Amino acid sequence: MMTTRKKFVSGLLAACVTAGMAVPAWAQKVEVQFWHAMGGVLGERVDELVKKFNDSQAKYTVVAVNKGNYDEVINGTIAAYRAKKAPHMVQIYERGFMTMLLSDAIVPVQDLLTEKKHAIDWSDFIKPVAGYYTYKGKLMSMPFNSSTPILWYNKEHFAKAGFKDGPAPTWPELEKQLYAIKAKGIADCGSSLAGDYFWSLVENYSVVNDQPFGTRSKGFDGLDTEFVYNKTLVVQQVTRLKKWVDDGVMQIAGQGLNPEQLYTSGKCSTFFASTAAHGSVERNAKIAWSATYLPAEPGVTARNSTIGGATIWVLKGHKAEEYDAVAAFLSFLASPELQVWWHKATGYVPLTNKAYQLAKQEGYYAANPTREIAVLQLSRGTPTANSQGFRFGNFTQTTFALRQELEAVFANKKPPQQALDDAVRRGNDILRQFEKLHAGKY
Amino acid sequence: MPGSTDRSPLPLAGEVAERASARRVRAQGLHISSVAPHPPIALSRDGPLPLPRAGEGKATGLKRAHFRHSRLPLLLLLPQLLVLALFFFIPALRALAQAFLLADPFGNRMQFVWFDNFRALLASPEYQSSVWVTLWFTLAQNALTITVAGLLAFATDRVIRTRGLYRTVILLPYAVAPVIAGILWAFLFNPAVGPIAHALQALGIAWDPNRNGSDAFILVTLAATWKHICYDYIFLVAALLAVPPSLLEAAAVDGAGPTRRFFTVALPMIGPTVFFLLVMNFVYGFFETFAIIDAVTHGGPAGATMILVYKVYQDGFVHIDLGSSAAQSVLLMAFAIILTLLQFRYVERNVNYDV
Repeated sequence: MMTTRKKFVSGLLAACVTAGMAVPAWAQKVEVQFWHAMGGVLGERVDELVKKFNDSQAKYTVVAVNKGNYDEVINGTIAAYRAKKAPHMVQIYERGFMTMLLSDAIVPVQDLLTEKKHAIDWSDFIKPVAGYYTYKGKLMSMPFNSSTPILWYNKEHFAKAGFKDGPAPTWPELEKQLYAIKAKGIADCGSSLAGDYFWSLVENYSVVNDQPFGTRSKGFDGLDTEFVYNKTLVVQQVTRLKKWVDDGVMQIAGQGLNPEQLYTSGKCSTFFASTAAHGSVERNAKIAWSATYLPAEPGVTARNSTIGGATIWVLKGHKAEEYDAVAAFLSFLASPELQVWWHKATGYVPLTNKAYQLAKQEGYYAANPTREIAVLQLSRGTPTANSQGFRFGNFTQTTFALRQELEAVFANKKPPQQALDDAVRRGNDILRQFEKLHAGKY
Repeated sequence: MPGSTDRSPLPLAGEVAERASARRVRAQGLHISSVAPHPPIALSRDGPLPLPRAGEGKATGLKRAHFRHSRLPLLLLLPQLLVLALFFFIPALRALAQAFLLADPFGNRMQFVWFDNFRALLASPEYQSSVWVTLWFTLAQNALTITVAGLLAFATDRVIRTRGLYRTVILLPYAVAPVIAGILWAFLFNPAVGPIAHALQALGIAWDPNRNGSDAFILVTLAATWKHICYDYIFLVAALLAVPPSLLEAAAVDGAGPTRRFFTVALPMIGPTVFFLLVMNFVYGFFETFAIIDAVTHGGPAGATMILVYKVYQDGFVHIDLGSSAAQSVLLMAFAIILTLLQFRYVERNVNYDV
């Protein structure tokens, strides 16, 4: 019995060894893994992008793998890292910035590209994007897909209601327009509430209207930041949104239905959502669609909006030649020609000034004026401490607390002020956890 | 004793045969009242069917006789133990360890925080609300599932012509993946586009599960119940088939209607099955309704459908708060064990296995 067992074990070992040694001949190219969260049409664009890179040179192969949505990608990455099987590059959303930055698991992108002698004009990255991802003067991750919320609207609905110039630039006027559209029976609802409304209607609302969101420059100056949005115009904004929902002017799509469909089908007249919706709106909309800037409060100088989206992080623990491949790919991404292609193919903003100028010279914005709104809105006015990005730890978690409290407002369970107080209290507890764990590291 | 042949201390042959046949009948699961009062007597002399007493086989049973060494059984158990260790014990222990840590998800930084994670959880209104939501959800789902499945199973006998079709239709939901089921329900009841929601609104009901927590709660309870009725149904139909028709017929002759026959004759006889299903429904409500919650409400609005297992997932895999998530799963396991024990302690008391 022992002998058979030994035979079996040694046979198994032999099989493993042979399998391990069977290296195919084509593996002379250095292969690196890129995990991303782009599904559907955007996923096809990523595949095209990677193919462009792989065809452009003969030394490296990038393998792009879609690992699900943003949450699933960051989770998959963490699991892989802990199992010492991390990918080389991974696309992580902006809310994961602090988690990645303080993880001790990453290689700062600017350091890597400088070390690998890729000449990149770092100062050419557009400010709102670079500012979000720069730490101690260096870009930590490679900006990849950045967007900002804009106001999508149905031209026909506004024209029929007598508003030839489209949506008004201030919230109270826009409110009157949306109520008029509903009252006249032109549309079922004035606006469809996007899934990421906390980003467009609360966070970016604070940014555009120059309202403080958190202390210590929203976390840029230290981990001891605290939320303060319960003492700002946000209270008024949430009260307004609640009223819209109550009056049927704002429609919550809910599960089982994409809120964008309520807009593209002509059921609702407006949609506060990302400029990255361009791809699907162009394809799906049967309406006369257009877009404009986010509204502001009257008497406030409207500032820039802030970005959302994701960047590419480089993970530690790989071989030097693999980092050559990573650097080559990232530097390829930063080229203006590729930026313009990506901008046009997806609706995300061009990440460098050169790329923006190139698209402009081609006459792209003359033909597609809504594509330029995001860029212009991101760079509107003089930035203030309130109008820069966000740098909160455990940001996904604090955002969830805010969302839950807003849902309680819409459900008539809490008045806006109380809900926002609770959201701030819960958020601050979560920030303190992060501060406790990472004390002295930022 | 002379002259008293009619009072023999030994049972007559005919009586013995009668008792033996009564035992045989009992062994088949029947209960006949006329013979029940006889005390069970071990018939070793000339009884045709000496049945082993309960527990008789234990002392000198198979185990001792055939496995004198403990190595072989262990070896045979090894694959199963290995699977259990890999997929249950090791993860459970790691979760237990993680529950006492404040850790960075990448595992490069951690602090031992004693019971901080548990303390924070128990003090948080969100967690308390989640416990109540889970309890009500599981109770409602359990009661609804077993009632509807019981009704459908009871009705099976009364559907004559299309019984095959009837059964197939009832069993169909079991073949639908939970996520798909969830999306179907969410869509049908979507206030903006769902046909059922429109019908409700036409009746003057302001239905909106996206805003109203109790609407969302009703929706997930219905969806979870719908998905699980077929499971209970199969067991109940099988159990009802095992009820001897002669009893039901006897009750019918005595003038009991179908409902009375069900409640006084059939239901007590299928007690063990019902109890088994109650426990299984609890387990289902606690753990397996995850996909439905994920597809229908994501635990919202405002936590109205945030059952514990979904919160474990949310905090662990969306918010990457591993310490809290681990503490929650430890508590969840404790809740599940306590509830199951309570059921065995209090509900099982009323279950009669002897019939």
